[in-house]
Amino acid sequence: MYKRISLKILLTFSLVFFSGASITHENMPHNIDESAGEKCVEPTDIMRAQHHIFLTQQSHDTVVKGIRTKKYSLNNCINCHIKPVADGTYPSVKSEEHFCSGCHIAAAAQVECFDCHASKPFKKVAKKIGSLEK
Amino acid sequence: MRDKTEYMVVEFSRAILLYGIVALSLIGLGMFSFITLEHEGHWLTGMNNQVVWGLPHVFAIFLIIAASGILNIASISSVFNIKIYKPLGRLSALLAICLLTGGLMVLVLDLGRPDRLVVAMTTFNFKSIFAWNIFLYSGFMAVIAIYLWMMFEARYNKFVGKVGAFAFAWRITLTTGTGSIFAFLVAKEAYGALSAPLFIALSLLMGTAIFYKILFWMDRGLGVTLGSEIISRFRKLLIYFIFTVFYITVLAHLTSLYVTKNHDFEFFLLFSENIYTFLFWVGQIGFGTILPLVILYNKKLSKSALGILLASILVILGGFIMLYIIIISGQAYPLDLFPGYNESSTFYDGVISAYTPSIYEVMLGLGGVGISAAIYIFAIMVLDFTPTNLDDKHILEQNQKVTP
Amino acid sequence: MKKYELKLDRRDFLKKSSMLGVSTIAPGVFFQELAHGRALDEPASSKIRWGMLINTNQCTDECDACVTACNEEHGIEDFGRPTTDTQWIRKMTLTDELSKKSISVPMMCQHCENPPCVDVCPTGASFIRDDGIVLVNKHTCIGCRYCMMSCPYKARSFVHENLENQLPHAPRGKGCVESCNLCVHKIDNGENNTACAEACQKDGHQAILFGDLNDEESDISKQLKKYATKEVRSDLGLNTAVRYRGI
Repeated sequence: MYKRISLKILLTFSLVFFSGASITHENMPHNIDESAGEKCVEPTDIMRAQHHIFLTQQSHDTVVKGIRTKKYSLNNCINCHIKPVADGTYPSVKSEEHFCSGCHIAAAAQVECFDCHASKPFKKVAKKIGSLEK
Repeated sequence: MRDKTEYMVVEFSRAILLYGIVALSLIGLGMFSFITLEHEGHWLTGMNNQVVWGLPHVFAIFLIIAASGILNIASISSVFNIKIYKPLGRLSALLAICLLTGGLMVLVLDLGRPDRLVVAMTTFNFKSIFAWNIFLYSGFMAVIAIYLWMMFEARYNKFVGKVGAFAFAWRITLTTGTGSIFAFLVAKEAYGALSAPLFIALSLLMGTAIFYKILFWMDRGLGVTLGSEIISRFRKLLIYFIFTVFYITVLAHLTSLYVTKNHDFEFFLLFSENIYTFLFWVGQIGFGTILPLVILYNKKLSKSALGILLASILVILGGFIMLYIIIISGQAYPLDLFPGYNESSTFYDGVISAYTPSIYEVMLGLGGVGISAAIYIFAIMVLDFTPTNLDDKHILEQNQKVTP
Repeated sequence: MKKYELKLDRRDFLKKSSMLGVSTIAPGVFFQELAHGRALDEPASSKIRWGMLINTNQCTDECDACVTACNEEHGIEDFGRPTTDTQWIRKMTLTDELSKKSISVPMMCQHCENPPCVDVCPTGASFIRDDGIVLVNKHTCIGCRYCMMSCPYKARSFVHENLENQLPHAPRGKGCVESCNLCVHKIDNGENNTACAEACQKDGHQAILFGDLNDEESDISKQLKKYATKEVRSDLGLNTAVRYRGI
């Protein structure tokens, strides 16, 4: 009886302990456009674990309060992290070449951001009303 | 007050197989429709920016209202102490759960973002009747569960009266909440405070008719003999409720017709050449009110199980059509932003909007019906909901049973 | 040799000092509009109430510059399905039943102070911001369309299909309900004007005026005091932020 219980405890413990690797995404690939800047707004390990928390809080601040600070703005992330592929176009969010999808497809954790939000940077022309260049 | 009726767990048979196949096929259709709409978007449906709620909502509200009304059969026994209905109590409560589940599933699956159901169940705006309805519907499930427990567990049978009364009050509140979805729309001429009692009356009628349909199937398919006492009782119930619904309908329309401001809408609904007028007079009044009454007062038909079945089916059809008219015509009729002016625009102001249900909406609605049917079939094969015999001897014995 | 020798003759001096003067004053002129706008980290304040005054006397049936500007600003595509395609602003043609005179009226979300759409939203996604803008929080919207049923102005649209190529300042997506948000992205970034008002001013019609209803010195407040204006469906008691002349 004690053998069975202790085996169960060992199994649970190992599952929890060793799954930590996938939870912290240490082996996930990520493509960053290093040319856009030196570093991200937060250190990598904090970003990996909490980027959704920053984005959710920012979404609330922006929509409800109208605060549009740049640090955790989704557009700011996109402008830095999404780089064009070989032929000069931006990758579709459905492909793994897209920075966000690179991890999210591998982790099978679907995000709904890009149902509504633009998934690639747009170049603004020098008039007030923003126009788009694909 | 111990329930001395004999109940049985239904065994698998050809009738069950047939019923189950139909239910599962309907569920399959519903799932196909949901997956297609979820991927492609609602542009495939007939619903649009003018008629935003369509056939799925008619099905959903029909099933929800029927769920509330079908519990009435149990209430008649528990709350109003007419013991003849006691053997039907368990089925009544079970069917309430089945129909409510089916209706809610259609409602949820039609949402623009069903993936946000968790948001809907955790973020509430308490000024919205929709938010209250979420509590009323889920709470209703819990109340019925406790009601069933009181009915099943012999030593708790003495609490059936009190729990039944609570369930009755909850039912009325729930149906009022459903009617208030429409009553609380400030800008729509079609709806008013009478929506709530109208829905309550409709729920009683639909619940009784659907319950009788199930009883008939139990008689022919499961061998549960239906006696003339039950038939006569259901005949009377149907008559009472048909008249109640008819009364409130007439009251609502006559009052509205008295007000010149509402003439345009009332004439559009009652005296025009469109589908709603046709459905109202032929469907709701003809098939839903007059024809069932003719059957129910006919000497021969009113005494036969088949005759009452026919009346029940007509009543269900009439009730469905009535909900269709209520929900769709109120949206098809244009809003009057500038009284005294004729309006037109690229956004269909000033014109009566056309609405044609697409096949996806029909499938989704039928999927909800399938879910209700499937839960019922599953439940009766697992627990003893079904009374073994409903003939006159067993039914009239209920009146003689004395408190132990 | 002198350490500091300013090699400056009179011509040079005039040139350089005038450049200095212009470069000091010019940014002030350029940024003046921005200076009135909020800082990016400042929340919307209830001291402001944004509103619009629409002078339908200046509108013609043929012109729909406001509609085109709104569609361009928010990336609203034409899918060729007019019953389900989104419209945030539309031109209504009103014909008097007796006299048969017709007028052209731009109609959009009226940004009521007591919005029915906010009352009926089950999740609170439809809300009124502190500065009076009524909008949909698309993170919370479940797409039930109850707000569309309740709006007396039929202002809201439901997105019926998958969208691609959304503009970064105007996130929109399938399954959510949306309506005119008084170009909230422009307001928050300090450009205190809407796309429709700008387009109308550019076209020369001057029919749409946007501004702060709470500021007595603003153009809109002065015009509201000067001319007789109306609220659409005022019988409903909603106290809209959009008012009309000429109806």
